[in-house]
Formats: sequence, C-alpha cells, structure tokens
Amino acid sequence: MARTISYREALNEALAQEMERDESVIVLGEDNAGGAGSPGEDDAWGGVLGVTKGLYHRFPGRVLDTPISESAFVGAAIGAATRGLRPVAELMFIDFMGVCFDQIFNQAAKFRYMFGGKAETPVVIRTMYGAGLRAAAQHSQALYPIFTHIPGLKVVVPSSPYEAKGLMIQSIRDSDPVIFCEHKAMYDTTGDVPEDSYTIPFGEANVVRDGDDVTVVAIGRMVSVAEEAARELSTSGIEVEIIDPRTTSPLDEETILESVENTGRLVVVDEATPRCNLATDISALVAKEAFGSLRAPIEMVTAPHTPVPFSDALEDLYIPDAQRVANAVKSVAGWTR
Amino acid sequence: MTDTLSTAVSHELDENALLEAYRTMRTIRAFEERLHDEFATGEIPGFVHLYAGEEASATGVCAHLDGRDSIASTHRGHGHCIAKGVDVKAMMAEIYGKKTGSCHGKGGSMHIADLSKGMLGANGIVGGGPPLICGTALAAKQRGTGGVGVAFFGDGASNQGTTLESLNLASVWNLPAIFVAENNGYAEATSSSWSVAADNIADRAAGFGMPGVIVDGFDFFAVHEAAGEAVQRAREGGGPTLIEVKFTRYFGHFEGDQQTYRAKEVAEARAKLDCLKRFRARVTETGQVDAARLDAIDTQVADLIDAAVEEAKAAPKPTAADLETDVYVSY
Amino acid sequence: MGEPAVTVGAVANPASGRDIRRLVAQASVFPTAEKANMVQRLLAAFGTVGVDRALLSTDLGGISAAVLRALHRRRGRDGAWPQVDFCADDEITGTAQDTVNAVRRMVAAEARLIVCLGGDGTARVAAQACGDVPLLALSTGTNNAFPQLREATVAGLAGGLVATAAVSPAIGTRRASVLEVSAGTRTELALVDVCASTERHVGSRALWHPGTLTELFCTFAEPDGIGLSSVAGQLCPSPRSTPDGVALTLAPPDEATWVVHAPIAPGLVAPVGVRSWRPLVPGERVSLGARGGVIAVDGERELELRDETATVLLRADGPRCVDVRAVLAEAARTGLLRVRNPEGSVNDDGHLVHGGQPRAR
Repeated sequence: MARTISYREALNEALAQEMERDESVIVLGEDNAGGAGSPGEDDAWGGVLGVTKGLYHRFPGRVLDTPISESAFVGAAIGAATRGLRPVAELMFIDFMGVCFDQIFNQAAKFRYMFGGKAETPVVIRTMYGAGLRAAAQHSQALYPIFTHIPGLKVVVPSSPYEAKGLMIQSIRDSDPVIFCEHKAMYDTTGDVPEDSYTIPFGEANVVRDGDDVTVVAIGRMVSVAEEAARELSTSGIEVEIIDPRTTSPLDEETILESVENTGRLVVVDEATPRCNLATDISALVAKEAFGSLRAPIEMVTAPHTPVPFSDALEDLYIPDAQRVANAVKSVAGWTR
Repeated sequence: MTDTLSTAVSHELDENALLEAYRTMRTIRAFEERLHDEFATGEIPGFVHLYAGEEASATGVCAHLDGRDSIASTHRGHGHCIAKGVDVKAMMAEIYGKKTGSCHGKGGSMHIADLSKGMLGANGIVGGGPPLICGTALAAKQRGTGGVGVAFFGDGASNQGTTLESLNLASVWNLPAIFVAENNGYAEATSSSWSVAADNIADRAAGFGMPGVIVDGFDFFAVHEAAGEAVQRAREGGGPTLIEVKFTRYFGHFEGDQQTYRAKEVAEARAKLDCLKRFRARVTETGQVDAARLDAIDTQVADLIDAAVEEAKAAPKPTAADLETDVYVSY
Repeated sequence: MGEPAVTVGAVANPASGRDIRRLVAQASVFPTAEKANMVQRLLAAFGTVGVDRALLSTDLGGISAAVLRALHRRRGRDGAWPQVDFCADDEITGTAQDTVNAVRRMVAAEARLIVCLGGDGTARVAAQACGDVPLLALSTGTNNAFPQLREATVAGLAGGLVATAAVSPAIGTRRASVLEVSAGTRTELALVDVCASTERHVGSRALWHPGTLTELFCTFAEPDGIGLSSVAGQLCPSPRSTPDGVALTLAPPDEATWVVHAPIAPGLVAPVGVRSWRPLVPGERVSLGARGGVIAVDGERELELRDETATVLLRADGPRCVDVRAVLAEAARTGLLRVRNPEGSVNDDGHLVHGGQPRAR
C-alpha cells in the first residue's frame, strides 16, 4: 500500500527492509548513529541529515560510526564487500570524494576486471550532492559525472521518494559497486511510496511525462524542475516528453533515442557543470545515433562552469531552474533552418 | 593480566612446517630471480617489482593464516601471493600477460589476486591495501569467522594518509587486523631514513593505541614468532598490531632500475643476512631438518619455475573478445 | 686552549625499547625524543660538576641529531654544558657494533665515565667494551634488570662526581659480577642472568614462555627486580653488592618444588616452576644439563645450541658501576653540592646584611 513519505523516509525504509531481509547488510559512516563514545544518547543523529536514524537500535552491531577517515572506512566497506558483507557506506557529501577517491576508482571499480572476473564487490556508497542549501563550494557539487566516467562503477541518481526506495533496494542487492547520489535539497520532498519492498532495475529510464514536441532528459532533482517547466509549456501548447534515466551508469540509451526519434528535439537538463557532464554525454549519444531524427540543435541546460557560489543571490542563478528549461525548450521547439 | 598474554602458545615448528616454510621462501626467491633474468630479455611487458630478499616476511606471517584470513599486498606482491597459496604457474602466466594467468592477463604483475585464497591482490597504489584490510577484518568480525586481515605495506606507504587512517580505524573498531610494515629501506629511490620522520614505523603504533614491534626481516623465526603473537591476539579479540619488518630488497625498485642511489648493502645482506641461507644453516645445525630434504626442495622448486616459465611462454594471449568482459557482474 | 681535562662518554642506543615485548607484554615504546632529552639532562649535570668535555655517540635514529640541534639552539641562560663532541669516525651499521665502536672511542679518548642509555642488551655490549672505566647504565625501557630507571640529571651528577674524582671510585663505584656463557667457540657475557630454554631459535629474541625454561643463573637477584632474575629474587635473593650469584633448576609448575609468581616481563606475572636452587660462587664453571635449545642472556635469546652443551662461569671482574646513591650520599656528607654563604652575610630574616635587600626566594 502506498502512502506519502519523504525522500529521507523512503531511503531509511529501504535500508531497514534490506537489513531485515539480509544479515550481511551493514551501514557505516560518520555519525550514521552519532554519539559514539559520548556521555549522551546513542543514535543521536542517525546520519547528519537523519537518513539512518533508528537503524542503530533496530539492528544492533550493524550500524557503525566511523572516525572522519573517508579513505579508511570507504576502503573498509569495499574490503568487507569482497568478504561476504553488503556494506552501505555513507560518504557524507559527494564533494568529499577527493579524500577517498582512490579506494573507489582504483580499488572497488577495478577489482572485477583486474582480477579476471573473479571478484564481486557488492558495496553501496551513499552520498549527498547538489546545490540549493547555501552550503557553498565544497558541499554543493553535482559530481556524479566523474563516477559515471569510471568503468566498473554504477551510478544512481534518484529523482523522487519512490525512485529513492526502489533504487536503494536494487543497489544493495546489486553485486557491483554502486554510487548512490542523493540530492540534499530533496530529503524533505514527499511522494507516494509503497510500504512493501520493491526494486527498480538499473539502466531502465522512467518516462516521467509523455509528449510529442520536445524530449527533455533530466537528471536527479532536475526531473522536478523539468516537470515544472513542462506544466508551464503545456499551457502555451508545447508538450514535452520527460525522461529520467535513473542511473547514469548504466544509461538507458534506447529510451532516450526512441523518444528523440519521435520528437526530433532534445534538451538535456543537468545540475553538473557543463564540461564532460551527462548533458554533453547524452547530447553526443543522440548526435551520433539519432542524427537523422534531429530537427533542431540540441540544447543543454546546466550549471555554469564555476564553483558553486555561497550567496543566495548567486546560488539561485547557478542552479538550472524551470524558466531556463522552458526557454531552452522553446528555442528548440521554434527552431527553423 | 595474563589473560592478555599468550603464555600458552608456542611457535615451535615441526619438521613439515619447517620444510613448508623453506619451500615457500625458496619458491619466492626462485620466482623472482627467474623474473629478473627473463625481464632482461624483453619478453615480459610492463612494470615488475621483485620481492627477493624479503621472503621471510610473507612466509613468516602467512604461515599463521588459513582460509578464513585475508591479506592485501603491494606493488611488490609476488611473495605475498605465493605465501598465501596463489598458483605459481598462473602467476607466471599473468606476468607474461597470458589468458591462462591468475587474472586472465587483465591484471599483470601489480594486480595478481586470488580472492578464493583470501588474497586481495597485489596493489598498484601505495597505501591502497590497509583500508581494504580494515574491511576484511570487519567482515570476519561481523560474521564471527575468527579470521584476521593482514595488510602488507612498505615504508613508502607508511607515510600515506590511507595507512594512518586505517591504523586509527582498526584500533577504534578493535579489528582483527595486522599491519605489516615491510621496511626495505627505500620507497622507490628515497631512503626511509629520510622519508619516515618517526625513525621507526613501529613507533607510530603508540599513536594509534596498538602495539608496535620491530623484527629482523631476514630472520624467518623472528617474523614467525612476532606474527604468531599478533595473529593470535587478533583472533582472540585483542585488536590490531603493527609489525615493522626491517630488511633490504635485493633488486631495484622496478626491473630496470639502475639503483645509483644505493650503497653496498645488498651484497652484504646477501652474503651475511640472507633469510634462506640462515634458515638452512640453523635448521640443519640444530638437527631439525636433514640438508638433503632441503636440497630436494630446491630441485623441485627449480623444476616448478622452469615449467611455469615454459608454460607461460607457450600460453595464448587474451583476445579481442576478452577486452570488454568482466567489468561488471551485470550491466 | 689545551686538551680539556675531564672527558666523559655517553652512548645512546636508538634501537632499544622496540622489541617484541611491546606485543607480548605491556612494554612501552621509549621515544627517541626522550632519549635525546636524557642526554641533554646528563649534559646539564656534567656542566654543573665540572666535566670539561662530553663525547657522544652518533646514530641514524635521531638521538644525536636532536642533541646537536639543542646544542645550536642553546642560549647563555640555559646553563653551562661541557664541550660536546660526537664520535663520528666509525661508519654507522645499525647494529650493536655501533655501541662497541662508540665505547672504544670513548675509552681511547680517556673518558673517565661511560654512560650507556638503553636496555640490558645495550648495557651488556657497553660493559664488554668499557674496560675499567666506570659505567653508568641508565634504562631507556621498561624491562631492564641491570640499567637503572633513574632520573638522568641525578645520575649525571653522580657520574660527573666520579669522573672528576670528587668522589673516589672506592666509594662511588662497585664491581659487578658477570656470567660468561660458552658454547663451542662462542662466548657471551650476561650482566644479570643466563637462562636455558628448550626453544630452538633465537627468533624475536625476548623470552616469555616460562614453560620452556630449564636452567637459570643470576649474578644478583633482587626481590623488586623485573625479568627472569625476579624468579630468584622471590625465592633466594642475592644482593648486587656481593660477588655471589644463584643457580636455579627450573621445571614445569606441576613438576616443580616451588612455583614462583614472578614478573618476568612488564605486565606478565607468570608462574615459574623451580625444582632447586643453590648459591653460585665466582670462578665456578657449571655445565648446562640439556643439549640443544637456546641460551638467553639478560632475557634475550642469543645462542642457538647445536648438538652441544654450554657452560656458565660466574666472574667477579665485571664492569665497575657507578653507585648513584652512594656517590650522592658521599656528596651530601662532604658538601660537594652545597656552598655556605660567608658567615654573617645573611640575616635570620633572609635580608643581606649589607645590601638591605630581601633575598630572592
């Protein structure tokens, strides 16, 4: 039975259901319980934004607080995954990948290939990304393109509470390393989520909205921005088809190409900075594989090529919004030779 | 207080155990010396880092390990692989880049692994292994297997943040982990006496709340004893230990290294300190092992290495069909 | 300037305090910085009692470098040190030979005192090289029976007073006994104890499995000692001040006459079985019962026996050791470290008679 819960609650429920189902699932990260070694209460935080709250008492010994040592505990999660556990490690902010990236891209991502197919590393690295909380340059980036670039990693960018739960359960059950990117401005977003456990397969895009005029591919939180733009565009007679790839690796190329073959027009909305991001990647895919179907140049709506600014006046300009998406859609919809 | 101490354990080795230890050390030495020769012919691709001189460390530590236990290694990893039971012929084929190799030719010298043996791989990243071993030790602890994790790393890696983070995490989580710092005097071409500010890597243990000891890395029995104590301590829930093993590597950082930075210590070490020579002298002088049995092992090992090289040379290379396989379990 | 009149030597072992007892017992790491600080405290004491020159060992472990750095950073108000020179002529090998070389250099430079910082092993090596020069062995570890765990400043004052002849050797030093153990052509000296074990190999050197011990010989045995001699210390004490020692036959506890709960290593109080004991007199050579096994001297396995036996000889001609307590008692008796202001120069209330100023307190 579905009921309305938040993105945060959906993730918590996914973790709890999987920990219930499978003893080998453990959760670890900085303050994932909170209060370790302190005189006050245990499970004081349940993660800095409360995603893991309550799991500590429900699953004794399976929610581990860590020192602030991302290399050590992300590496530990990876090592444990090779030896029969299914760890879910929390890299608090995706920006902190800089202090543990080696363990992710040189170790976890490469074990299977480098060892001739003999390794399985079922680790999930949960991490929050994205701008909007005035968290400034080192706590706001949308770095999923960097992980998407690495063979051996799977990258998940859920766009709603429903997606978050189904994709998290799938991530835990998947036998490859998964980078699970949660948008920090979405934790309080609510939506209908079934109580029962369910999975959403990787590499299968969700067609969020049907439309025949322009294809809009949007990543993560940009899906809701695209939906907002679509409602406004619909009133002026432009019907956009919104595609949420759900996972940037693997990427559901087929759904994107089929849609563009129908609409002939593509806008990609990506919160990441513009060089070598998902917008450029999907644009290149479409230009190569569906060139004959294109009836207009491809538009990309992205952040500017700058660090994320702190001031609200600037950060609001930085994040792609519905107006920019609408403008891009109008420009490709109205484009003529 | 005696409950924390292992007064009951003895690390006496029976004849079979002594012969096995000798066989392992001899196999590593023969493997590496042969690679040194073969590399010079130009037939072996890529980077090769040889472990000759350091055999007592891998052998003395791994003698205490079994199927529950896992190790992480370094770019100088052949010795750890052999000591943990990875197939020697498959290793040789891997180094030759052949499809019959441990990793089907996709790993090479720096990435030989056999997870079925608890060998998490040689590792091309200095300091890559210690975090992983925190994880394997955590898995052993969570699953209650009684297993331990051993991270071998060098003096160079002792200065990496990953290593220091791992020492801390292992202590905080009270993990069944053993950190074996193999101090062979040089990180690439930089002397550890210059690069390790603490003078002794073992001294750093105190800062992480664990015992740190130094052992003579040329002495199998010294390594074996210290490792035995550390492994037993870890299995009993006593937590992690840092063991600094001091010795000299016999070859350069990589094959082809002219070693202009080194003094005459290698010739001296080979003559006076060599772990194989000392082992042989001591077990035969004490009457524990008949020299003829060691000679027989020498012959068997030489034959094994000959066969390994021959088979590796003759083996097929991977093909284009192998290029894109085994990136993911499913994709 | 002529050659300084009174020279002393100090050798510090950079490797001590790091052996396997950190793992099998609760021994602590003795940091390099603290060894360097001890050397500096010695120098301060030497400067006070009129030592002219201190000759220090060099090492690659950071001790001599730290002392050199301190030497360069000193200011006038830090008090007088003697002239400091380093033994830098021998190649550093990173082995016990470095201690031997340094002590020989110090003896050749006519040092009147040799201070040795390290454990039992370091003291043993220094004792073999120092000849008749008084030895002051200070502990830089936690498991030492021979070197004293003493504040270096205090020990330095005593050593300095012996070196300058302010206190005579007859009062300030005493001759230690040593045990000479021989097997075949090999000979080792022990300052405290010789112990036979059924273990086969030197291995990681320390000896901490009491069940393997068969025979124990001690130059002295103090009830408050640490290490193997503490077994004898609780059963048949023998003071350092006499040349006699003791010999014990050991056995597994359930086959023994006595079971002694002895602190054989820090944190390790183990039941040690003793079958019999008897006094050991200087000059008596004793054959060990067992063939094979290893012989430990001062708690460290040193000799692996082949198919041969070893003999032990107690000798009364060990190193001449500085008796810190006796030297400083003599200093107190004769007023070596005190000066009395001129009669009547200070009033009872602490004011100078002539200045009218309060005395600094």
